[in-house]
Amino acid sequence: MRGPILILTAFALAVPLAASWAAAPAAVQVQIVDERGMPVRDAVVELAPNGGWRGGAIRFGWKPAMAQKNVAFVPGTLVVAKGTSVAFPNLDSVRHSVYSFSKAARFEIDLYGRDQSRTQSFPITGTVALGCNIHDQMRGYIRVVDTPFAGKTDQNGVVRLTGMAAGGYQLIVWHPRARTPGGELKRPLVVGAGRSNQKIALKLR
Amino acid sequence: MMGIPGLPAKLRFRSLKLRIAVVYAALFAAVLAAVLLLAGNGIARFGEDSASRDLAANARVFDEIIELRAQQMRGSADVLSRDFGFREAVATDDEPTIESALVSLRERSRSAAAFVVGLDGDVVGSSDAALPPATELWDALDGGQDHGIIQIGDKLALAAASPIEVPDRIGWLVLAQPLDAAEMQRLSKLAAVDIDAAVRRASRLPAELARAPLGQVFESDDGERILHHVTALPALQQGVRPRLVLDHSLSKALDEYSGLQLLLAALAAAGLSLVLILSWRVARTITRPLSALDNATRLLGEGKDAKVEVTSDDEIGRLGASFNAMVAAIEERERQITHVALHDGLTNLPNRKLFVEQLDQALARRRDDAQLMIVYVDLDDFKVVNDTLGHPAGDALLRKVAAHLQAVLGEAIVARLGGDEFAILLGDLPANENLAALADRLQSCFGRPIMIDGQQADASASMGIAVAPGDGVDGTTLMKNADLALYRAKRDGKATYHFFEQSLDEQARHRRQMELDLRLAIRDGGFELYFQPLYSMHEERLKAFEALIRWPHADGMISPVDFIPLAEETGLIVQIGEWVIREACRQAASWPDDLSVAVNISPKQFQSPNLATIVLSALASSGLPANRLELEITESIFIANVEKTLEALHSLRALGVRIALDDFGTGYSSLSYLRSFPFDKLKIDQSFVRDLTQGGNANAMIRAITTLADALGMETLAEGVEDEAQAAILRQEGCHQIQGYLLSKPIDARAVHVFIAGMTGDTEGERLRA
Repeated sequence: MRGPILILTAFALAVPLAASWAAAPAAVQVQIVDERGMPVRDAVVELAPNGGWRGGAIRFGWKPAMAQKNVAFVPGTLVVAKGTSVAFPNLDSVRHSVYSFSKAARFEIDLYGRDQSRTQSFPITGTVALGCNIHDQMRGYIRVVDTPFAGKTDQNGVVRLTGMAAGGYQLIVWHPRARTPGGELKRPLVVGAGRSNQKIALKLR
Repeated sequence: MMGIPGLPAKLRFRSLKLRIAVVYAALFAAVLAAVLLLAGNGIARFGEDSASRDLAANARVFDEIIELRAQQMRGSADVLSRDFGFREAVATDDEPTIESALVSLRERSRSAAAFVVGLDGDVVGSSDAALPPATELWDALDGGQDHGIIQIGDKLALAAASPIEVPDRIGWLVLAQPLDAAEMQRLSKLAAVDIDAAVRRASRLPAELARAPLGQVFESDDGERILHHVTALPALQQGVRPRLVLDHSLSKALDEYSGLQLLLAALAAAGLSLVLILSWRVARTITRPLSALDNATRLLGEGKDAKVEVTSDDEIGRLGASFNAMVAAIEERERQITHVALHDGLTNLPNRKLFVEQLDQALARRRDDAQLMIVYVDLDDFKVVNDTLGHPAGDALLRKVAAHLQAVLGEAIVARLGGDEFAILLGDLPANENLAALADRLQSCFGRPIMIDGQQADASASMGIAVAPGDGVDGTTLMKNADLALYRAKRDGKATYHFFEQSLDEQARHRRQMELDLRLAIRDGGFELYFQPLYSMHEERLKAFEALIRWPHADGMISPVDFIPLAEETGLIVQIGEWVIREACRQAASWPDDLSVAVNISPKQFQSPNLATIVLSALASSGLPANRLELEITESIFIANVEKTLEALHSLRALGVRIALDDFGTGYSSLSYLRSFPFDKLKIDQSFVRDLTQGGNANAMIRAITTLADALGMETLAEGVEDEAQAAILRQEGCHQIQGYLLSKPIDARAVHVFIAGMTGDTEGERLRA
């Protein structure tokens, strides 16, 4: 996306104590705000370790499911690890289909009815934009990540990522309305031991 | 003919009819022109306004049309952009599929261009001409604008954009239709009025249109009047700034109203012709009787019979009736004026003019063997009647005489020539007529006295008679001769007649010559003064001289007896008298101081208003004291007006001069004159003196007069004393002074001095006293 990307760095607390790295897992709190400083909800924040994740299978603390309820995808934004099979339960009384032309996943699930569910596996990282062929207004996003340190911001625009080791990371912020190429904002981040806070301003549509 | 003031001469009409018609037509034409002008202007303005309104309304329609067209295109685009397969093709960058879909969309929607603008900046499409770069479309599309103008190749086109969402927006499907002349013409047909529409870039507009305010109608006049309306159209492409330019020909719009204006003009022309015809007819009804009046007036002016026919009872008819009445009145007055001009107002007898005419006619008619008699009549003593009984009585006398003459002389023509003069014409007398008997008979007409207001008045008359052909054959000669005969009759005494004789004519000629000579003598100072001494027997000395005028003439000395009556008659006496006063004063001033001069004043001279002034002037210029001047007047001055005479006498006396009453004892000798004015001296007429030595009662008369004079405090002087005996008696009877040949005949100025010297030697005085 075009336009200036404003990054406000409140403070980055990096403690250069190599001995304590392994001993005390770090925690990074990131707050996403818009240009006016209002918290941005449902922005996905990822911390991808430099050199990739080699820590095995990733499991998040939420179900890998994108339900269709009240003619909407619920939750609207879902973070899943690469290779996760996501369920699409239809909780509505109408039928829905699910399709995606995103590069990360191209698929089509034909119409299916109430209380039925379909699954789809997402082996490639990236953003998958979901639509329903018969309900144009339905939007759903699945962010397929390859790091366990990822999450969605809450209503305060805050996400807390913990358990990562100190070191070099790539901080990636994604939001469907972010005015950046691919909707992503990337920046390198050195994570030290202990807690650190990041406040990032996103320009939204 | 009256003209309208200020109208140039060449616009004045000789005919009222033409003028009325032209003026009314011009008036109507002016009003029509004003109405036409106003209506024409109103129509033109209405046309302009409605054309302007039409254009403004159609501009809104055009906006709607373009909006609708864009929506329609958007609808077409939406069909494809929502198609799942197409979206998949776009999402997967399946260009062959996309292009084939776009081609089919173009054909279906009959669009010129259909292309996809990707979010990533790719442009994939189907078009006949170059598509705009995505970068120039981006802002508008991303801003949510769904239609606007873009440039395809070198043409501006209307584009509608439909977003492609899968479900996120990945680009737009844009459908474009060039707004070229053909398309705009097609759109223009949707407008209610004839409009030329074009979409052009703002930068390509002519300066005039570029400057024009947007959204407003304005007019340009470049041979043809055209209304313009320029609006901005939404642009989908950066830097295009499209303008919709609507042109509406005002000239053509107004042409539709020209028919109406023509109709108005035609109506006006018809109205004007109608007014011309009607006002011509109206004018004719007015002017026909007027020109009849005009004609009649001209006839009247030429003295011909002039009546107009009265056909109506309106103003014109009344004018005609009035005119006829006026003509009748003029004829009547003319008759009266003629009568007055030819008749005497008092007696209603023919006047001199008519008498002359009648005489001429009678002379012309006279047969050779017939005689014609003209009698001039002058009433004797008419003046006395006038003076004593008053003018009304005099007028009454004249009327009675006239009536009597007319009654008695039925066949004769009687005329009043003026004053108390009448003329009688007796024509057609046989040659053997006894003219003297006829004259006697005429004379007898005046013999009887006439009663006026209970008083008897003498109406006797003198008559002068001339007879044609003996005394003349033309009126002028006859009348002159009758007049001469009358003059002679008057001089012969009253109540008589005289036939004209040739000698009368000669006398008249002599008198005229003498009058001429008198005037010359006055002018050239041809008179002399002689003086006769007055001697006082009381004082035994020379007292004064009486100045007596003499006229030395080429034929010898002319006696005052001959020329003074003529001078009195002609009024020349006033000038002669003035000369006498001045000359007497001048002479007397050279005498010894105790000598006075006496000057005779004629009645006519006395009546002249400036006598006192002349006396004063003569005294002043000669230096003679007033008490040495004695004015001698006669009783006759009292006949005219006693009061006026007394007034004049007193004013003379006031100057200091002495007043003597001459010729006392002759004439009326009314003693009342003596009582009413204190004369200084009474001059006893020589007739009394002449009788003194012949015995009788002459002495008693003298004594009575001197006694009376003494009693009144007046001196007495006896005239014409020729011998000692007379002088002795006069002295004895108490007369103060004497004058006469006993002392001296009148002597000239030089002799006066000798005489005075002789008297102072006193031989004469001694002789008188002895």
